[in-house]
Amino acid sequence: MFEQTVLPHLDAAFNYARWLTRNDAEAEDVVQDACVRAMRFFSSLRDDDARAWLLTIVRNTWYSRVARLAKMSAGKPLNEAQDHWPDLALDPEERLVQQHTVSLVRRALEQLPVDFREVIVLREIEGLSYKEIAAIAGVPIGTVMSRLARARERLQTVLTLASPREALR
Amino acid sequence: MSCELVERTLDAYLDRELDAESSTAVRDHVRVCAACRGQLAGREALTKLVRGAPYYPAPDRLRARVLTQSTRPNSVRRVLGWAAAAVLVLSVGAALSLWRPETSRGNVIADAVVDSHVRSLMANHLFDVQSTDQHTVKPWFLGKLDFSPPVVDLASRGFPLVGGRLDYVGGRPVAALVYQRQKHTINVFVSPETGDSSTRDIVRTIRGFNLRHWIRDGMSFWAVSDVNSADLAAFASAAQER
Repeated sequence: MFEQTVLPHLDAAFNYARWLTRNDAEAEDVVQDACVRAMRFFSSLRDDDARAWLLTIVRNTWYSRVARLAKMSAGKPLNEAQDHWPDLALDPEERLVQQHTVSLVRRALEQLPVDFREVIVLREIEGLSYKEIAAIAGVPIGTVMSRLARARERLQTVLTLASPREALR
Repeated sequence: MSCELVERTLDAYLDRELDAESSTAVRDHVRVCAACRGQLAGREALTKLVRGAPYYPAPDRLRARVLTQSTRPNSVRRVLGWAAAAVLVLSVGAALSLWRPETSRGNVIADAVVDSHVRSLMANHLFDVQSTDQHTVKPWFLGKLDFSPPVVDLASRGFPLVGGRLDYVGGRPVAALVYQRQKHTINVFVSPETGDSSTRDIVRTIRGFNLRHWIRDGMSFWAVSDVNSADLAAFASAAQER
């Protein structure tokens, strides 16, 4: 039952966790913890959407970990509250090294604030609908729309700056 | 529609999340407004670029650990209590699922289709014939089935054909055609129509997978995938146009 329902979505869970944490080892820990929770709350899976259900648990697991770690390291504010533009200016040498488009995109995505990053990942990489994303992130659909729009605007600017000739080809 | 409004709905338009009426309004506006057309092109280019970002599949050791965890949970002490709860939950769940009052034939087949889809992904047995050429895939089924499944490549619609295999659904051999949407797999199970009306035009989500059924030219088609329901609907209509 559990294996049949949850394991097919393990890739989606890991991909999502990997983008949230930006780190392989941490993503593995998060997904493993999430699966333990999923097993525990398996009875709460009412509707048929096991993927959205598992991704929600992954998200909650990650957030409670971040909160716990933040508490331990003298209360650094959550990333979600920050909304400053990261310094993405690449110097010319870096630009040469980083010509590879995939790594440019990865880097641009990783530097987005997590609220923006997750809607992009869930929409573009996981292919979820606004409704599913809203359920996972626990926000109204309107918020999903505005986050997506702002995230894309930011990515567009960043990617055009980072590689003016190639990025938007 | 004003430029300002178009700008605000451009993303939803691109993501096919607008209702038909607004969608038409945006399309009409973009046709005549070069500025908004440029905006849309920029967004489309960005989307294409971002979809090339890495997809991180779960490492095998994680898969193994989760499996061990769910089958032999007592290996980790702190899981012990939860395991007991899980076993209880699982057995109650199993009992409930046996108890489910209505299991129409349509539901049974829909479940079998999802099972076949999951099996093809888990066992890594997606193809018997791997080809993007419909003229290679179609003849491959000759002599293996007592019917000839229609095979079309839908690459131009964003759903490239990647191969086919023999599969079994509902106790009979069927043709499974495999398509791709970005990094997602779409399985299409084709068999001759049996006149069974219980499955007709089913659109459903089962265990997180979207599922659509249609009948065309005496053949029954089941499309199943983890792509979102709008994409699967687009796939179904593209497949039926041919």
